[in-house]
This record gives sequence, structure tokens and C-alpha cells, in this order.
Amino acid sequence: MVQNTYYPDFDVLNSIKEWDPTTADVVLKRLGPFPPLKFLRGEEEMRLRVIAKHLVYDTRDDIFNWVIHFIDNRLNEGIGEYQREPDAPSEDILVREGLIAIDNLSYKIHQKDFLNIGIKDQFKILSDLQVGKAASIPDWSKIPQKQLFDKLLILTVSGYYSHPTVWSEMGYGGPAYPRGYYRIEFGLTDPWEAVRRNEGDKKKIDKEDSDGV
Amino acid sequence: MEYKTSVKHNYDHYKGHRYDNLDHRKYGDKEADVCIIGVGAAGGVLLYELANAGLDVVGIEAGPFWDPQTDFASDELHAYSLNWQDTRLSTGNDPLKFGPNNSGRGVGGGTTHFTGVFYRFHESDFRVKSTDGVAEDWPISYQDLAPYYDKIENDIKVSGPKHFPWGAFNGPYPYPEREPISAMAQVFREGCENLGIRSSTTPLAILSAPFDGRPPCTNRGFCNEGCLPNAKFSTLIQHVPKAIDKGAEVITDSMVTRIMVDKSGKVSGVEFSHKGEYYQQKAKIVIVAAFAVETPRLLLNSACPQFPDGLANSSGLVGKYIMPHSGHDVYAKFDEEIRLYKGTPVMACTQDFYESDAKRGFVRGYTLNAHGNRPLAMAKVTALDAGYWGKDLREIMLNFNFYGMITLVGEVLPHIENKVILSDQKDEYGMPRPEIHFTYGENDNNLIEHGVEKANQILKARKGKPAFVAADTGHLLGGCRMGDDPEKSVVNSFCQSHDIPNLFICGASVFTTSGGANPTETILAIAARTGDYIADIARKGSVE
Repeated sequence: MVQNTYYPDFDVLNSIKEWDPTTADVVLKRLGPFPPLKFLRGEEEMRLRVIAKHLVYDTRDDIFNWVIHFIDNRLNEGIGEYQREPDAPSEDILVREGLIAIDNLSYKIHQKDFLNIGIKDQFKILSDLQVGKAASIPDWSKIPQKQLFDKLLILTVSGYYSHPTVWSEMGYGGPAYPRGYYRIEFGLTDPWEAVRRNEGDKKKIDKEDSDGV
Repeated sequence: MEYKTSVKHNYDHYKGHRYDNLDHRKYGDKEADVCIIGVGAAGGVLLYELANAGLDVVGIEAGPFWDPQTDFASDELHAYSLNWQDTRLSTGNDPLKFGPNNSGRGVGGGTTHFTGVFYRFHESDFRVKSTDGVAEDWPISYQDLAPYYDKIENDIKVSGPKHFPWGAFNGPYPYPEREPISAMAQVFREGCENLGIRSSTTPLAILSAPFDGRPPCTNRGFCNEGCLPNAKFSTLIQHVPKAIDKGAEVITDSMVTRIMVDKSGKVSGVEFSHKGEYYQQKAKIVIVAAFAVETPRLLLNSACPQFPDGLANSSGLVGKYIMPHSGHDVYAKFDEEIRLYKGTPVMACTQDFYESDAKRGFVRGYTLNAHGNRPLAMAKVTALDAGYWGKDLREIMLNFNFYGMITLVGEVLPHIENKVILSDQKDEYGMPRPEIHFTYGENDNNLIEHGVEKANQILKARKGKPAFVAADTGHLLGGCRMGDDPEKSVVNSFCQSHDIPNLFICGASVFTTSGGANPTETILAIAARTGDYIADIARKGSVE
């Protein structure tokens, strides 16, 4: 898998001395180290890690250590999930039972567990879940497919797009208090903001190729 | 870790006193004049207005008393704590999402995380049935609210244009418009210009110059995450501290679970839960100002022998006729950087499509807002609402700086099947979780189609390439609609319940129709008007 950035020279963390202490603390905690997991157990973490990587198309474990930690903490806290369908299980059950269901689905189709099928097949399973068209297994009577996919996606996206490395690659200027932004008009940037390189200068930041993706 | 970041504050606040327990309450077993449930947009204004009128007033808030300097961060994930995260059950053909785009938790409520967009409703919004033959007319006119719009705008120094082209009020606003405007606002206005559509800078509850010890905006863009510099208005920093100074008490981290009723059929106070213990606050008047979901939920959960179907519910309409705004986000990709993260999110708009136009095939209309964004918000709608994931999502987000966005704020007509009811699932307080049903109607869908098309035309007219549309919603209104007829509404024009004279309901829940604009200013204006009315009643010594 190859990830590119238009902003190879930019690191949002170079501005951290300009951030207020609360924000700096919140963001730096995403770089680890992380305490032991509280909710995820056994192979759950490995399955979730692979799925999360596919959902946002990235493979860097340092980033997914944070994503997994975020999801684990969220599921463990039980602070509320804004909304769910009346007949859907709570998100902790949805994820836990859903990961088992994904494994069962993999067995039914490939006679192997999810971690041992090819990446292409793993993507196919996720695609089927997204539209609620995965092969029939008993698990789907209590685990709604699309809601499972959406839950895994929103949890992953929430963690992933909160990581400062990902911000840097997007050229996102990041936290700006107390400094603020001043050159906000079209075509203008403040001196500390990301500078875009031309398409031809895209820097490969990860040369790990994957088969068939 | 975000969710573990403990907010350690005091729970009981009144002038000169801050306590981290409830052992020293100002009124305790005594009866206050007024108890307000929910210290958000409406509750904060009511707290201030009633304390200012010399009444003994207590506000009870489910969430904390935020300190912006230590509790807010310039970070989207961290800001989840400002939202009402408690699980609600959401269903229907178009199930609503809750949290960042509607209700808040903590003193200030949704005003801590709104974009500061501050529109008045138009005159036609209050008489939709008379002019368009749909929905219901409000029991008040624009003119009834106009003085309160004026008052609120002056109290908080709204920054806006010298001339606003639409509606009954065309400016000028108390403070000058914000300048410069962001790149997104620029391309929006240029796109409108190219099509002959009128546009304007947006009136904002965000300072363009210092006021009241608060600085002007620095364009950091984090309005939705809680304003650290205090340049953006919220009742947390504006009304509530002044109310406390005038003698109001605010009890936080306390969930009101029941409104009490005495033998005569009047309300006598509330019961609330704090750290697992139950307390009571007696009051001559109770005002429920707890958002369009929690307000009907509490009224229904307070059913008692005198009112077996819930309080204020003789019409059977408590919880009915809820209305979000259709809030579709229309994205386009540009050849040059827009950098949506910079500047106040909304700095330009058009209301050229606000009023009904028989040629369009639907009634009522909408506002289009040029809209900024930050990575997590964009990734969430791109993934969940537009359906992108994997390589597609990564590719879009790597080009984050090249995307522009226009957001629709579309009027949604009231329908009785769109409602909040009590489910059979219980929460941590033992209260039934609210179950919210929502389905768009045909008029709503036609309006959305028109609005999305117009937004795309504007983006295209400025060389944006339409990319994708995220079917989002914003705000939530109704559930305890106001009206003159007790059989067709829950409260009268002063937010007083038809059934129980000393029970008031105020805030987003009393809207009869949704209008086609961000509702915060109207919520505040209604609250200020209700505050005047209650103060007047109190002066006369009766709530009959």
C-alpha cells in the first residue's frame, strides 16, 4: 500500500509550542504510549486492527495503536453513543458480537478465519457488510450488518482523523489557539501553514506494497 | 485520554459561592420562585432575565459548568464532550443523528458548540398555514419577536452586514461585519455573483471588535469545538455569569428525572439525580428548557395520577411534530486550495431561495451557508453519509485542502408521525430512553433536491467540480409546539403550558414550524420574551 502526501515538508507538531496546554496534552496523548486494553480481548484487537486499516486504507501500526486504544476506551467507558436503532444492540455488544460474526462469515465463505484470508477477500466482506448483502449466517439475526459496518467505520474514522500525522499529510494547519489564523483569504496562508508540492513531487511515505489492493 | 479527562468543577454556584457538593444549596428545602431545567440557549437567557427581574431562580443542568480555558481544546475529538452523548433510540425512514449537530450538554448547552450563525426568522415563517396552506401558523408574529431580536442582538453585539438583503430586518447590526471573509466564503460569493444570486456576509454571534472584556475572533475555526478566546457568544460566558451575579443559583451535573405535581394539579418543583443521590427543588414556577428530545421525554416521564399521559399533554401532542433542518453538505473540489479549516466556519450565505415560489413545485425554502470544516467532521460525513471508505476516503481526505462546501439549512414541515416517545429501554437514571421517529415528507425531499442543485450550481459557477453530497441534518425543533388552541398545541404564545399554568416550556421544542434558517437567535428571542412575561406575572403575584 502506498500513501502519498502533497505536503511532505509539513509537520503540524512543529507548532505545538503555539498551542494551549490542554490542546497540546490532548493531541500528544495520541502518540502513545498507551495503557493495556480494557475492553478488547483475545483476537478481537487483531481483527479490529485489520478492519480499521482497510477502512481508512493505511497500514501504519503506530497510528493504529492509537485508533485501537481510542476504540477500546470508548467501548469500555459506555458513555453513550448518541443514537442507535431501537432494535440494535449497544455498541459494545455490536462490535464484540460483530467481530465474531465476521469470523463466522469468513469461515462460511472461505473455510478460514478472517485474519487468514487474503486482503482482497477481507475487503469484499467489508463491502458486502456496507450494503447489508453478506452471505447468510445465523449471526445476522441479532447483528445488523450495515449498522455493524457503520459503527466500525465511525469509530475508526474518529480515531484515525484525530491523529496528528494524518493531519500533517492532509496539510491541515491544526490547533490554532492562542495564535489563530490571519491570512484566511483565498490563496493566502500564514507562514507556519503547510506548503503544497506539485503532484509530481508526491513523496512516498510508505513503500509497503500489498497484494491485490 | 479524552473521555477520561475529568472535569472537576463545583456543582453548586451562586454569587460568591462555589461548592463541590450540594450541602450548601442556596434554597435547599425552601421554595424558589422559578426552577429552570436545562441551562442552555433558552435556559441561560431565562436565568438571566428572571434573576435580573429580582426573582429567586435556580437552574439545574445535567452536564458540567465548563471552564473554556481548561475544558475546551482546539480539537474535534475532544469536543465530543460538549455534546449530549447519552444514547437515544433513533428510527424512521430517515433516522436522525444526534450530538455535534444539535444538542449540547453542560452549561451553555448547544451554544457552546454552535457556529455562531445568527439569523432572524422571516415574517412568513410565522404564518405558513395562512400563506402556503401547510403546517400551522404560530400564535405570534414576527413583530411580536422583533423587539426581542433587537435586544438579544444588542446584548451580545452581533457582528453583521450594514445591509442584509432578506427578511424584515435589513440591518445594520450592532457590530460591523467580520472581515476579511474566508476563502470558502469568497468563492461562495463569487459563484453567487456569477449566477445573479444575491449573497451576504453572515450575521454572527462572534465579535468583530472587543466587547465586555472579550476579544474579537482570531479565525481559528473551532466554533463547533468550544470557543477558547470567548470571541463567540454562548450563554455559558454571556448570560449565566451575569445571572449568577444577580443572585441566580446554578446546580450542575444533575439530571432532572421528574417534575412534581401537587394535589391541586400544579407543578411544585422537580426531582433530580446527582451522583446517584436524589434531591428535590421546590419552585412556584417550573420551566422546562431541555432541548427538543429531553423536554418531551421529561414531561412524558413525569406522568402521575392527575396526568396519566404526561404533563401538559391533554392534546396528546407532547413529543409530536419534531422537525430537524435538512442540512445536506454539498462538496466540490477546486483546482486551488480552499483550506476549509480556516476562519469562522460560516461567513457568507444566501437566502434568495427562502420564500415560497410556486414555480418550484414545493412550498417554503432554505438558506445556503458557505461552510468551513475540519478533518474529522469532513471524514465522518464523507464516510458515513456519502459512503466512501478505504482508498476512496483516503484519497478524498488527502485532498482535504482542495474541497469547498455549502450547507443547506432547509425548512422541514411538521408531521405528526415525526415524534419523540418513551421507549422500553432504561438509562442509568432509570428513565426510559427517548425513541425518535423521523421521515422526510415529499415537500421536504423536493426542497432538498432544489437546494442541493442550487448549491452545486454556485460551486460550479466558481469553477468547483461537484464531488459528493452528504445527507446530513442540523438542529431539532418542535415536540411541544406553541399555539392558541389547546387541542392543537402544548404551550401558548408565552410558552406557558395550556394544561398547567405554572409549568412553562421554552427553547427549541416550542417551534410550530422550523423556518429555513439556523434557529438559535429565534430560540433566544422566544426565551427573552417568555422571561418578560414570567417577570410580569411574578410582579402581579400570580401565575393563573
